[in-house]
Order: sequence, then structure tokens, then C-alpha cells
Amino acid sequence: MICCKECIDLLCDYFEGTLNPDTAASLEDHFKDCPPCVSFLETYRQTSDLCRKTLTPVEIPEPVQIKLREFVKNYIQSP
Amino acid sequence: MPTQEEKEQDEILVRDMKAGHMEAFDKIFELYQRRIYALSFNMTRNQMDAQDVTQEVLLTIYRKIDTFQGKSAFSSWVYRITLNATYMKLRTKKKEQYVSLDEGLPNFNHAGFQNEKISDWSKSTDSLLFSNETKGVIEKAVELLPEKEKVVFILRDIEGLSTEKVGDILDLTIPAVKSRLHRARLFLRKRLSNYFDEYKTRSSKK
Repeated sequence: MICCKECIDLLCDYFEGTLNPDTAASLEDHFKDCPPCVSFLETYRQTSDLCRKTLTPVEIPEPVQIKLREFVKNYIQSP
Repeated sequence: MPTQEEKEQDEILVRDMKAGHMEAFDKIFELYQRRIYALSFNMTRNQMDAQDVTQEVLLTIYRKIDTFQGKSAFSSWVYRITLNATYMKLRTKKKEQYVSLDEGLPNFNHAGFQNEKISDWSKSTDSLLFSNETKGVIEKAVELLPEKEKVVFILRDIEGLSTEKVGDILDLTIPAVKSRLHRARLFLRKRLSNYFDEYKTRSSKK
């Protein structure tokens, strides 16, 4: 059986779906018997989700929008 | 990766811009300003800096479009210019904060099995997600990442670009992108775990 450390090293590839089928199967076997690794896996996945939800979407604030349009008009369209 | 349609649209816009059609630049401005601003803002967390960077990038696109040879996608070129301008901005005010990414891993015994209790907070974050405290913790944690890991994490997990696209923008191999991404995620996971564990302890004492 692969150890926890190996499992954690493979998580990125596991989520990308780029592990070969045998390795993916041994990873899943490990998860069946290792609750700490399941917790690790779930929180690893949730970390990316939480960060994305917190940091997106970035909208350009209205005053910045206006400045950018002015900039384009003054320095690019009529330099 | 951009869809074939987006790629073709970009190619037409670049061709028209090189031929001197201003409408093509206006279209590029509309299509790209949010992406430029968002990347720069997530890297600097500063509205003024992101605005300066966006202006600079727009000017560079306008002035240097003739040097764009189309070897990689136009969008990759724009992301690269954005990152260069962002790095310049960061250099002028940088107080480099060193953090060790090693702390992202749990403790293992000599056989490589986990030695510590891992709590699973993944199902209990909903009520906390939109609190300002949680938002602050996440922003701070991402800010603390070393630049190499931060840029990969932002492009891949925040902006949602593919691993291949990130490799193209940063001129990195796929394994190198994945390795930086993994280190960033481990570090952030650890930070968030500390926060959620502490939050749970605080709530249970109330």
C-alpha cells in the first residue's frame, strides 16, 4: 500500500485526472482505509474553491473604469 | 485554453490593429481590460497599482503590437506583459516576506504515514465564507505566498486557466506548474486549517 506522504504528493495530478489508472487505483485504495488522508483530500480541494470564491470576481470599480477610458482616449486614440 | 473561436477573433483583431484600425484596439480594450486588472489586482491587492498596471499594459499593447509575432496566443502575450508590469510595480515597494512552504505538509512517521490528527473542515465553511474575517485570512494567506507560487496559484486556481495555458504564459513545463501549484495549495490549506480549527475552538468555548 502506498503511504500517506506519497498520496499527498499525488493529489495535484489526481485532481487533474493525469495519473495513470493503476496509480489512481492505489490512491483510492489508500483513501478507503485512511480517514486522515480523506480529510486532507477534502480540505485540499476546498482550499482552492474557497480562495476562488473569495477572490473573484474582480470587477473594475466605476471610477477606475472612467480613468481607463480617459487614458485610452487621451494617450492612445489621440496621442 | 482559449476556445478556437476566441483565438480566431484575437488573430483578426491583431491583424486589424497592425493595419492601423483603431476599432480593433477598442475591441481588445473591452475584451481584456478586466482580465488585466483582475490579475494585477490579485497580485498587488491595491486598486491604484492595478489601475497603473492596466494603463501601462494597454499602452504597451498599442505600441508593441508590431513585435507580437503570434508564436503563442495573443492572450498569453497580454498576460505576460501584465505580469511584467505588475512585477515592476511590486519591486518598487517590495518588502520581501519570506515564508517557508515546508510547513504545508502534515507530520509523517518514518514510514511516511500521517502522525497528526487532520480535521475535515471542508463541509463547515459555508456560514463563514462571506465573513470579513474569513475573507481577510484568505487574502493574507495568498499574499504571503512566494511570488513564483503565487502567480501560478492565481492564474490556475483563481483565474481558472488551464495548467497548459499557465505553462505557456510563464514558460514553464507542465510538471513545474503542477509542482508550484501543489506547494501553494499545501501552504494555503495549512493556513486555512489553522484558522478553521481555531474558529471551532473559539465557538465551542462560547
